[in-house]
Amino acid sequence: MTMPPRLRKLVLTAHITSTVGWLGAAAGFLALAVAGLTSQDPQMVRAVYLAAEPITSFVIVPLAFASLVIGVVQSLGTPWGLFRHYWVLFKLLITIFAIIILLQEARTVSVFAARAAEMDFVDPRGLESYVLHSGLGVLVLLVPTVLSVYKPRGRTPWTRW
Amino acid sequence: MADRPPFPEPTTNTPRWVKVFGVIGIIVVLLLVGVMLLGGGSGHGPDRHGASGGADGPADAAETSLTLEY
Repeated sequence: MTMPPRLRKLVLTAHITSTVGWLGAAAGFLALAVAGLTSQDPQMVRAVYLAAEPITSFVIVPLAFASLVIGVVQSLGTPWGLFRHYWVLFKLLITIFAIIILLQEARTVSVFAARAAEMDFVDPRGLESYVLHSGLGVLVLLVPTVLSVYKPRGRTPWTRW
Repeated sequence: MADRPPFPEPTTNTPRWVKVFGVIGIIVVLLLVGVMLLGGGSGHGPDRHGASGGADGPADAAETSLTLEY
């Protein structure tokens, strides 16, 4: 089923917004984590743990799921399809992989935020995980962005879908 | 995601970039599985980072705060 051009543009806009927004939010999270990790102020570290939770729960995770869902809708509503072209398929797999890791890390973020809410001191070493995951996350999320722009050739053998 | 495929493409040969991506993907997945297995099966999440109050987690961190100088 192919979407009409206006609807396709609208969905494409939403897909780009959510995907690039996810990338930007992850970069912002990385900056926050680095600031906390390099700070000598325990209150700064605690503030980073507290701030990381709403950023993750209300910005990064929703954008990630929006990117996935809208991307699937977008691909199915255009001649590109979801499984016809390797670059679309790789985008899907990378997005699913990133979301799985994100959900695991979101649990960590919630636990540390709860600790920070209860205690005056929270070990800043937990931020090493934040920096690692968000840093790698930004790099991983750049791949679908590059694939979307360059759209390298290659059709899958399962083109009937 | 753009408007439509600009050209008809053959379906026979797998492009080199797909093979490279596939190999990289397999290596990354194997590395992750290895890390999870070596990490005692706790994988990702708060347990792995000691957030559940494990040996190197925040529970101990509260104690070590006495010796850390800020």
